[in-house]
This record gives sequence, structure tokens and C-alpha cells, in this order.
Amino acid sequence: MERRRQKRGLKKIAAICLAGAAVLLLAACSGGKNEDQGIIISDSGKRMIVNLFGPMEKSNPDARNIARSAFDRTVMMAEEKLGLTVEYRTYTAENYQDKTYDDVTLDRARNNMDDLYLLNPDTIQKLGEEGRLLDLSDLDCAKNLRETVKIANCVDGKLVAIPQEVVAHGLFVNKTLFDQYDLSLPETPEDLLECCRVLKENGIETPIGANRWWLENFVFAQAYADLYNGGNTAAEIEALNQGESRYSDYMRPGFEFLQQLIDLGYIDAEAAYTYEAIEGEGPDFLAQKTPIVMAYWSAANADTAYGKPDFELQVIGFPSSRGQMPVVSMTGYAIGAEAEHLEDTKKVLEIILSDEALLLYAETNHVISPSKNVEVECIPALKPLNDRLHENVYVLGSNAGMKVEQWGNTCLIVRKLLNGATVDECMAEFDRLQEESLKE
Amino acid sequence: MKKKQNQRRADKGIPLLLSIILVFGILGAVVFSVARRLSAEMSASAIQNLSESLELMKGTIEAILLKEAEFQKMIAYEIAENDRPVEFVRSYNRNQTMVKISLVLPGESSGISNTGESFSEDELDFSAGGTVDGLPISRSYINYMGTWAYSMKCPVEKDGQEIGTLYIEYIYDSLDKSLPNGFYNGKAMLYIMDATSERLVLKPRGIGERDAGHLNLEDFYRANNITEEYIRAEVAACVKSGKNILFYHDIRDKSALNYMWAVNGGSIYLIGYVPVEAIQQEGKTVSHNIFMVVIIMLVAFLLCCVLFYFNQRQQSRIRQEREAEREIHNKRLAEALQAAQMANHSKTTFLSNMSHDIRTPMNAVLGFTTLLARDAENPEKVREYTKKIMASGNHLLSLINDILDVSKIESGKVVLSVEEFTLNDMISSVDAMIRPMAVARGQSFYVEVSDVKHEYLMGDVTRINQILINLLSNAVKYTQEGGKIWLRMIGLKQRSSQYEHIRIEVEDNGYGMTPEYLKTIFDAFTRAENSTTNKVQGTGLGMAITKNIVELMGGTIDVSSQIGKGSLFKVDLEFRIPEGQMDRKFWENSRIARILAVEHDEEVCKNIQTLMQDTGVPVDIARSEAEALKQIHERSGKEGYHMLLIDWEQPDTEAAGTAERLRAALPEPVPVLFLADSGAVGAEEALPLEHAGVLTKPFFVSALKEKLIEMQAERTAEAKTEAVGSENLQGLHFLAAEDNEINAEILSEILAMEGADCEIVENGQLAVERFAKAREGEFDAILMDVQMPVMNGYDATRAIRGLERRDAGEVPIIAMTANAFAEDEKEALDAGMNVHLAKPIDIVLLKRIIKQYVKKG
Repeated sequence: MERRRQKRGLKKIAAICLAGAAVLLLAACSGGKNEDQGIIISDSGKRMIVNLFGPMEKSNPDARNIARSAFDRTVMMAEEKLGLTVEYRTYTAENYQDKTYDDVTLDRARNNMDDLYLLNPDTIQKLGEEGRLLDLSDLDCAKNLRETVKIANCVDGKLVAIPQEVVAHGLFVNKTLFDQYDLSLPETPEDLLECCRVLKENGIETPIGANRWWLENFVFAQAYADLYNGGNTAAEIEALNQGESRYSDYMRPGFEFLQQLIDLGYIDAEAAYTYEAIEGEGPDFLAQKTPIVMAYWSAANADTAYGKPDFELQVIGFPSSRGQMPVVSMTGYAIGAEAEHLEDTKKVLEIILSDEALLLYAETNHVISPSKNVEVECIPALKPLNDRLHENVYVLGSNAGMKVEQWGNTCLIVRKLLNGATVDECMAEFDRLQEESLKE
Repeated sequence: MKKKQNQRRADKGIPLLLSIILVFGILGAVVFSVARRLSAEMSASAIQNLSESLELMKGTIEAILLKEAEFQKMIAYEIAENDRPVEFVRSYNRNQTMVKISLVLPGESSGISNTGESFSEDELDFSAGGTVDGLPISRSYINYMGTWAYSMKCPVEKDGQEIGTLYIEYIYDSLDKSLPNGFYNGKAMLYIMDATSERLVLKPRGIGERDAGHLNLEDFYRANNITEEYIRAEVAACVKSGKNILFYHDIRDKSALNYMWAVNGGSIYLIGYVPVEAIQQEGKTVSHNIFMVVIIMLVAFLLCCVLFYFNQRQQSRIRQEREAEREIHNKRLAEALQAAQMANHSKTTFLSNMSHDIRTPMNAVLGFTTLLARDAENPEKVREYTKKIMASGNHLLSLINDILDVSKIESGKVVLSVEEFTLNDMISSVDAMIRPMAVARGQSFYVEVSDVKHEYLMGDVTRINQILINLLSNAVKYTQEGGKIWLRMIGLKQRSSQYEHIRIEVEDNGYGMTPEYLKTIFDAFTRAENSTTNKVQGTGLGMAITKNIVELMGGTIDVSSQIGKGSLFKVDLEFRIPEGQMDRKFWENSRIARILAVEHDEEVCKNIQTLMQDTGVPVDIARSEAEALKQIHERSGKEGYHMLLIDWEQPDTEAAGTAERLRAALPEPVPVLFLADSGAVGAEEALPLEHAGVLTKPFFVSALKEKLIEMQAERTAEAKTEAVGSENLQGLHFLAAEDNEINAEILSEILAMEGADCEIVENGQLAVERFAKAREGEFDAILMDVQMPVMNGYDATRAIRGLERRDAGEVPIIAMTANAFAEDEKEALDAGMNVHLAKPIDIVLLKRIIKQYVKKG
């Protein structure tokens, strides 16, 4: 009985194997029809292209840096909808002696090399003033922008650039370490100095990690805390533009504060002068050697920046007389006024700045959207910064409405300070710039 | 031995398994070899493919550079020919390739450009020494347009004199359109690298991705994790010497072919990588197919192994089963051999015994025959000798019958003849046979029946008798004179309502048996040997026969015995109860509705009531005469008693008197039956009593019925008695077929003694011929032996019956044969014989049969 059952089992197995073999044989023998009969026609039709000049290469869908791929995803959205290709052209300075990205951008825009540009605030202002950028006011996507965003990107009444995110810079603080030394989060410059003193005394060599790009945030926070939050913003800017008040007067406290930080050894000026953003100071911050750095909002989300620290992270505004002050700047997308593929480029911009795309972007990067229709939750670490922004307490790091470009110039002057220039020399530079602006 | 066999089987299986492994090993090696060869060929093909592509691009770029150089020379010529060279330069509008033209006049450190700016050679770096068509080419740089550019300088000569130097700036973007849009379907990476600065100066359209390392060679190494120093050193050496280099290195965990391809003598390089799978797209399919083949082979191999395993297991199981069967067979054979040896030994012993046992009566026969011859004249001696010869002959005959019986049972030829019988008849016949023997030895023989519910049963009564006679005759034989013997029939609990379960017990208080003998008592050819029983004659086959018959009937036999105390045999048998055995109408017709039994023995009373239960006739019991009278009185006015059963041996009174008094107490005379032990003295005295009879104990309904019928018959008519046995065979004439002269003579003499004559023929053929010749009615009967030469008795009978004579079918043919079994009798009757008579001839029986069949008689 048992044997019979086993025999039956063996027969079943043999039958299944035979059936499998037969299927394989049939599959192997079946050949597809020679439908083209050997004639191959290649579609060499010209593909629509929009050239984008930006600091980054195009990413693969499986790219590791999600902060960057958010933009790519919106570009992909445009490519799919419009059936065109957005070609990325990039430039990255090999070192600080190289031409900067902004320099190259200016050259390229002036020579009409590309259609679409990702511009820093200073270049927006310059190119806008030169009339090399298209007025984007008529675009549908512009209608949803927050007023702040519009103000920051208007030159001579033209909306010349639109950002995908409102970049709020803040101080990234190792709260664990602060708690360890019983320190509260600094509100004013004096608070920060006290924190740095305690940290220094406790063996932390450089309490503040800095790079050559973002130290100006300290300056802006102290310089414009009252200007942007005092209720007389437009008049004060107008006074500056008219030369009735001086930028150097606004800037001095910030520069003196930086000088103090450098002098007290709370900032390593030499290192900061050569450090690229995050790449330089980032590892020490993550290794808890440096408890304070400065960075932009989404660096707290991104895996490549400070997204997953081994300690409690808190992002606060820069110290000012009005307390913690976020510094907001915007890198915007602009279209060359004489762009080769103007219409296609406008369509691309309409899509990548649409509420749908901005929501995708904001959700992916957890950032503040320029569209008033898009709001996303932020992570707990960003809550202090977010609270201030919701209170409408911030300063602009760039303002195209100011005759003297702020972000780029201040950055360069801070580098001079790092390089050994005095505060007075730096202030003289501001005065010079203001003079030049008044001549135009 | 077994281990060796297993070893041999394992030895057979292993080569097969090794063969399968070998075949698949060879196949695997072939597939591996083919795969490797294919891989190598594809690798070579990939390198060639990539080299050709790179060569093509190199050629294109070099052609562009060459054209640029040639064009620059032409412009230089044009400038030289132009009277206003500065204005010529300033008036130049840039195109997509040449974006800036500058002219520096001899002796001046700076010159003019078409862009309107001043130009100085110091802005450019020609130190690398690269040239295109003889024109020096500068190191790459970011130009005023914000894109990577290079410049070539060309002397402007007029009439053999250098009147200036022409610098033309070219942008790498112009090469973009001449390069493929998406290298290897967008999977490959391609950059143009300035060899001097190792900066990546052009990324063609459709190429590049974020993590590719797009800044410079170091960035390329970093992004693609090319950390091996020897590779970097090799690449550096090649770049320095303007050679091409290809190397395999995994890029993002995928095998890739990296390249550094020198253009324009090594001033610029095409660098990047191509994933191997992008070059060998067909290779993936081939690899996939090879993988599939390997998988299929592996599956096939595993399948073979599984089938092999199952086959081996099955074979092993079959072998084990066969082995087990063989072992059982061998064991049985050994047992059979042992049994045969034992049987042989027993038979040898038996033959020895038989030799003695047969010789003893034979000796007596021959001895007395000699004496008979000597004392023939003395009638008294003759009678005495004849009597002794007869006794010895009878003993010899019983010996032979037993031997035949054993051999018959053992060979399985015995067929039970199941028919209806009554326990009464059975016990009566056994009693009739055993009681005289017991009485002769002064022994008491008791028959007891208890709890038996049915006395009409189905069974082979002859064989049951044989069992009882064997057991009882042994009990008589092996019990000393004056001993006691009991035969008990005990009704056991029925296992099925259709079967009566009866235990037959035969007990004696005789010599008993030793425990050793008890173990072999049922074996054939054994006999208790001791000084006491040696005197007893027997074949030693009786118990073997008994046991065989009991087992044939599906029963069991058991014995217990103690030396000097006696033996007890228990035989358990089941008998089928025949349907409709109870004839209730008989009792109605006999007008018996209630019986009064006067019996002091409680067991007997219970037995009567049990047996009478099925008849529907209630039996009231009275232990004494007084109690009986009381019951009779109690029933006055009701339906009275229609019969009295009275124990013959009343403790205090005489049974006959009791009967009379009881009958007197009844309103009408009822039949009276006395229950008496077999051979009870004085029982017959009751017979003169009117309407009375004697019923032998134990009580049976059948016996009661018979007695009642008998008594009723006596009352209705006079009994006719028939005188039997006084007549002889005077005047009868027989034909006898007998081949044995002595037997023929004996037959002839016996018949002559009875006044008949007999004609003897030697075989069946002669008998047939003789009968055929005889006149009708010449022979009154034919006595036919069965085993005869020429023609046997059966054939002769059939031949006679087949003769065309009126008396051929009528003449009685009596079989006289030593073949004494029931089958023989059946065959004889089937052949046409009238009756079967076993040898030796019993003259009384012969006379009765002849009288029955011969009309004249």
C-alpha cells in the first residue's frame, strides 16, 4: 500500500518534470515573427531641449541625496508633461581661487549661454538690474507666491526670479552638549559669547564651526533685526537706496561681533576662509567636537548634512537684539531674457514652480515653500526656527530691492575680515559699494 | 552474511551515484568552460567595441581641432592681407566655435580683441606645449562666457615677416554637437579632460549624473571610489605620456570598463567609464541563458539524485522485505525440518512400538493357529483357540484402523459430516459402549448434564462419539478397578445465539499422568509408558486423533492430571442450533401442558427445567413426595399436571409407590416416567405399572418425546416384534470377485457355513464376464472386492450395471473392501453398488445386509 502510494508520487513528479521540459522546449522553439524584415528605421527627430545652468549635476532616480533630488523630481515632472529634456550644465569651483559659481553664472547669463538659471540672490540682483532676466510676473506660478518672496526677488518692479524654497538659515546647536554644560540656547550675541566661553573652558577648542559662505548670517541678523521687524522696513530701505542712511552703520555691530568671536578663538578664521559649506565644519559638528554650526533649513532633514546626528539637534535663529533671528535668503530660478528656448523654458518653470511641484519639493525636503498654498510639517529640531518664521520674525539675507546687493557682497567682505581686514576696512568697503550704487 | 549483502548492495549503488555525479560534473565543466570562453570573448569584444567608439570620437575631435587650426591660419592670412588688421579683428562677430579673436602686434605686451577688451598672452598658459597642426594650444580655462575654452595662437605673417600673433578662443561646447548624445544608451559616462589641469572641461549632452565626479580627475576617482594607487599611478603615467588606458573597476557595485583616451597627442583626454553590461547587452542574455542552463542542469541533477534516492530506498525496502520473507521461510523450513526430524524420530519409535504391538497379536494368531492345527480334533480346544485368534485379530484390526485414521486426519482428507443429532442419542450410544467396559472393571461411570439449553444440535456425531469414546475408553483403561469416571456435558455461555457452547469433561480418579507426559500427550505416536500402563494395549494414536478432530471442529481440548489422583479432560465445542427444532405441537397433541418432577437432586431439576424451557411446557419441581402432593393439591381447581417425572432413587421412599400415590392424588391417570441411572437395579419393575416407563438419566427432551411416543404406541396397538438372526443364507448363490486367495477362501467357507455357495473370480473383468454369461437370476448377489488387478471393483460394477440384461441393474452388488472410509463408501455407491461392507467380514452384518438386499432371502 505504502509502496503504491510512493510509486504514484514518483509518477506525479515525473509527469510534472516532463510537462516542465515540454514547456521549456516549446518556449525555446517558438521564435518571434520577423516583423521588420530586416529594415530598421531610426528616429533621428530633434528632441526639445531646455538648458539649465545650476550648481549640481542631474541626479539619477536612485540618487542618495534626497535634498537635491527633490528639484530633479520637479524637473522630471516637467519633462514628462512637456516631452522635452532639461539639460543640466554645471560649474563647480575647484577651490576658492577659481571663479565662483556666481561669477560663472554672470558670465553665462550675460553671454546668453543657457535658458534657465539657478541664481543666488546677488546674481539675481545684478542680472536683474542689467535687464538680462525675463520678467516672470505673468507666469501663473507667480500668483501663488508669498509676498515676502516677491519683495525679495523684485528688481525695478520686475519679478526676475522665483525660488523653490525659502531658505532659512539658522544656528545648528548640539543641545545634548549644551545640556551637559547647563547652557540655555542663546538669544542675544552676549548669550552666545557666554556659551562659547563656557564651552571653550570645557575644552572645546572651537565652539563655532564656520565656512567661507555662511558667516554673514551673524551680520545680517544683527544688522537688519530692527529694519525688517521694526515696522518701517520700506522707508529704511528707501533711505539706504537714497544714501540717506549707511549700510556700514547697520553692518558694523555684526562685523564687530564676528571680530570678537575670532579674537576670542570661538571661530577659526583661517579654517573658515577655506572651508566649503558643510564639507568643512560638518564632520566636526557630527563628531560633537564643535557644538555650533550654521546651515540652511533643509540641512536638518538631509541625509548628507545634519539629518541623523547622534545627539539632540536644535536649530535656532542667529542671536540679535530681538532674540533668535532666522536669516532668510532665496536662490531663485530665472530665465534669460534672450533665452534660445524661451517659450519651452517658461513652460518648464510653470511646472516646476506650480503648487503641485512645490508641494512635492516641500514634502520631500521638509522646507518652507514660497507658495502661500503649500504648508508642510517640520521636524522637531527645526521647531524653534519655524516658530520664529511663523511669528514673521526674520531678516532677509538678500533683497533685490536694495541697491547694494547684500548676500554676495557681505559674504565677500566677511571673507576679507577672515583674511585679516579690520572692521573699519570692511565698513569702508560697504561705503564704497553704497557710493557706487548711488552713482548708477 | 547480512552485512556482506548490504555492503554488496551499497557497492552497487555508489558507482551509479558516482556515474551521475561524473556526468553532471563533466556537463558542468563544459558549461563552465563555454561560459568562460564566452565571457573572455565578450570581454575582448567589449574592449574592442569601446576602443572603436573612443577612436571615432577622438578622430572627430581631432578633425575639428585641425579644421579650427586651419581656419585660424586662414584668418591669420586674411589679417596679414588686410590693410587694417585691428579693425578686421574688432569687426569679427563671434560664432559658436570661435568666441574671441585677439591680435597682439609684435613688440607689444597686450593687444586687442573682438570683444573690445584688451588682451594679453599672460591670460593664457601655453606651457603644456600642445599643438594642433603646428599651432600651440593653451591650457583650458573658464572664459568670459563662463564656459570652458581653449585658445590657439597663430603667427600673422606678411611677406615672410611676422606682423603679429593671432589668438583665437574656442569653446569646448562647440565639440558637444559632434559627440554622441548619450553614450552607450546613457549608461556610460564621458567627459573631456584637460590633460594639464586634469579639469573636466566638457560633459556632452545626455551624459553625466550627480555622483559621477564632474569636477576633475581627482573628483572622478573620489566619486567612483577608485582608490587603488597602482591604477592612479598607471593613469598618471599614461596621461603624462599621452597614451590611452583602459581598466576594469567596479562603479557603484557594477563591473565597468574605465577609460582615459588621449586626443590630440594627449593634450586633452576622453575620460569616463562604461558599465560592462552596457557594452555587452547581448552578454547579459547569454549569461542569463547560461545561468538558466546551469539551473536546469542542477535541477535535473537534483531530480536524478532524488529519483536515485527513491529508487535505492525502494530497492532497499524490497530487499529487506525479501530478506524478511526468506528469513521467515527459512525459519519455517527449520521448524518443519525439526518437526520432520521429530516426527521421524517419533515414527521410528512408533514403528518400533508397532513392530512390537503388531507382532504380539500376530504371534498369538500364528501360535494359536499352530495349536489349532495340532488340536483340530478337539472341539473345545478349537473353540478356545478360535476365540483367542479372534481377539488378537480384533486388536490388530483396531490398531490398523487407528493408524489409518491418524494418517487420514493429518493429510487433511477428513471431511466433517454435519447433520442434526441429539445429545440424548449421542450420550446413549457412548454410554452403551463405555458403561459395559467400566462395569467390567468394577468402575463407576457417571453421566451428568448441566446448563445445556439445546439438545438438538448440528455436528458430526460420529466424530464427536469418537472423541468421547477415545477419552472415556482411556479413562477406563487408565483407571484402576473400582475407580470412578465422570462424563459431564456443561452448557457454557453462548457466544452467539445460533450456537450452543458446550464443555465436555471426562474425569477419572485413575493413575494420572506425569507433567512431562502431559506436554506430549496429544502428539502422535506417543504413549504413556510405565509399569502400570504397560499392561494396557493401545496404539498411542487415540489422543492425537482426538485433538485433531476437536481442532477440526473449531474447538479446544485441555487436560490436567496428577499422578495417583486422576485426570481431567476438557473439550470446548460449539454446535450450531438447528432452526425450528422445537415441535410445540407435539406437546399439544400429547395433551401435556404441565409436568411435575419429583427429584431431590437440584442440578437434575435445573437441567430438566432448562431443557424443557423451549418446549413451552412448564415443569414444577418437588424435592420429595410430600412436596409433590402439596403442589398437586395447590393446583386443584387450576390446570393440573399431565405427567409425572419421578426420580427412581427416592431417598426415603420407593419410587413406584410414590408414583402410585401421586397418580392417585391427580384427578385422572397421567403417564409416569421414572428417571433412573443407566443400569439402575429394579427400574424395570416400574414397567408393570400402567402407563409408565423408565427414562435413563441424564434427562433429555428427545428421550422424553421418544418414550412418550413409545408409550402412546403401546397404548394404541400391540407392538410387533420381529425375529431377526435365526435364519441363515440357505440356498443362495453368490458371485464373488476377490483376488486374494485366502480372503476368497475365508469368504467361501463362511458362506458355506451359512448354507450358501459362492463362485470366486480373481478380478473385476472376470466377474463382469462371468455375470454376462450367467443366466438371469443365477446369482442372488455379487460380492465385490474393490482393489483388484485387471479391473477394479468400481469399474466392474459400472460394467455390470451397464450390461444389457434385465437383472443387470437389479442384482445386488455388495462392496467388500478394506477401504473403510466414508469417502470409499460414497464412491462405491456412486459406482452402482448397493452397499459397502468393510473388511474383515463380520458374518452377522453380512447376513443382515444380504437379507436386506436379496429378495429371495
